[in-house]
Amino acid sequence: MSAGTFSPEVREALQRLILSLADTKRMLGIRYSDWLLGAPSIESGIATASMSQDEWGHARLLYAMLKDFGVDPVEIEHSRPPGAYCSAACLDEPFADWAAVVAGIVVVDGTLSLALEGFASGAYDAARRRIPKMLAEEAFHRDFGHAWIRRISAGTDEGRERLAAAVEPMLADAITCLLPDDEEAGLLAGAGLTAPARAARTRLARRLAEPLSGLGTAPATDPPLPADWISSRRRPAGEPAGDAVERARGDRNRALFVE
Amino acid sequence: MVGAPGGATRPAGGGGVGRARRGGGGRVLWGAPGGGRPADPAAAVWRALGEVLDPELPVSVADLGLVYGVRVDGDRVHVRLTFTATACPCMDFIEEDVRDRLLAEPWIAGVEIEQVWDPPWTSARITPAGRRALRGAGVSA
Repeated sequence: MSAGTFSPEVREALQRLILSLADTKRMLGIRYSDWLLGAPSIESGIATASMSQDEWGHARLLYAMLKDFGVDPVEIEHSRPPGAYCSAACLDEPFADWAAVVAGIVVVDGTLSLALEGFASGAYDAARRRIPKMLAEEAFHRDFGHAWIRRISAGTDEGRERLAAAVEPMLADAITCLLPDDEEAGLLAGAGLTAPARAARTRLARRLAEPLSGLGTAPATDPPLPADWISSRRRPAGEPAGDAVERARGDRNRALFVE
Repeated sequence: MVGAPGGATRPAGGGGVGRARRGGGGRVLWGAPGGGRPADPAAAVWRALGEVLDPELPVSVADLGLVYGVRVDGDRVHVRLTFTATACPCMDFIEEDVRDRLLAEPWIAGVEIEQVWDPPWTSARITPAGRRALRGAGVSA
């Protein structure tokens, strides 16, 4: 089904879902790219370049879906202020260390993929056509993140503690922003566009149980909506750091713009 | 729409692979455009696309399996094109090369390129000729 076949209320919710997924992909790409140099090994740093490239491509395909809603994706990608971004709040600032990068891969990227799986299985044709390619590319991210989790889990106490400290808040935020359990999520699931939030959260908990088992912690996978939740942006109050948004928009390269 | 990769209506061999194997590179290897409108315009389009090389590999976009279909309406050509990755850094260059190569044919007045992602590209879409070309360049596929 195309966007035009849904009720105005559902269409609006669908548009917000797409923007949330696209913005989170874009900011995740930025946050991976922050670690291209400075990872524990050169090869791991280079891997973040590949993942960053993938996230950028996925964001672009998602933004392009907004054309169905009469929105100019170029305007959306290159002209919005930070306060209009709908990305997960845990990506507002750079990952603090490599443990946080690994947490980002497993938890944020993993939750994004699960949300995308539900979207690709739903009734919106554009998602059904475009998302399978994204998910195929995400398989490498998952393998890479899980390999790092295993390595850290088998390492020092300090490493495990740092990873666990990064995972807990990130997981709560990723679930809240990407699998929200609110009225709008119910509307989308009711229209056959996404999986119901509760079912998706249960699936995520099952999926993360094994990779996170070595951390000696069982993060909550059913966080409540925060008090400062902004439903129109599908995230809590706040915004991504200005320098990240400048990079995402390509502010310094407008003279070279080719799209 | 004529011929998905490997389809019966597609010219065998992909056209430009032999050239690619010999020389590598891109536009300098394009063949001379044909004259008037060919008897089989879609086949002529596929042949031309067989000369458009991937910018990073000595294999044509046709033999890589990136062309999902070709439609000819009079003097206008519609190409359904995918890419190996969603953030392929060469998307713009490939589209430009496809457009310019087809517009070099005097009978083609317009080219429309539609980006498609369904089904997702995998290496299984590379033709036998494409695999030979890649192996010749030391790339396994």
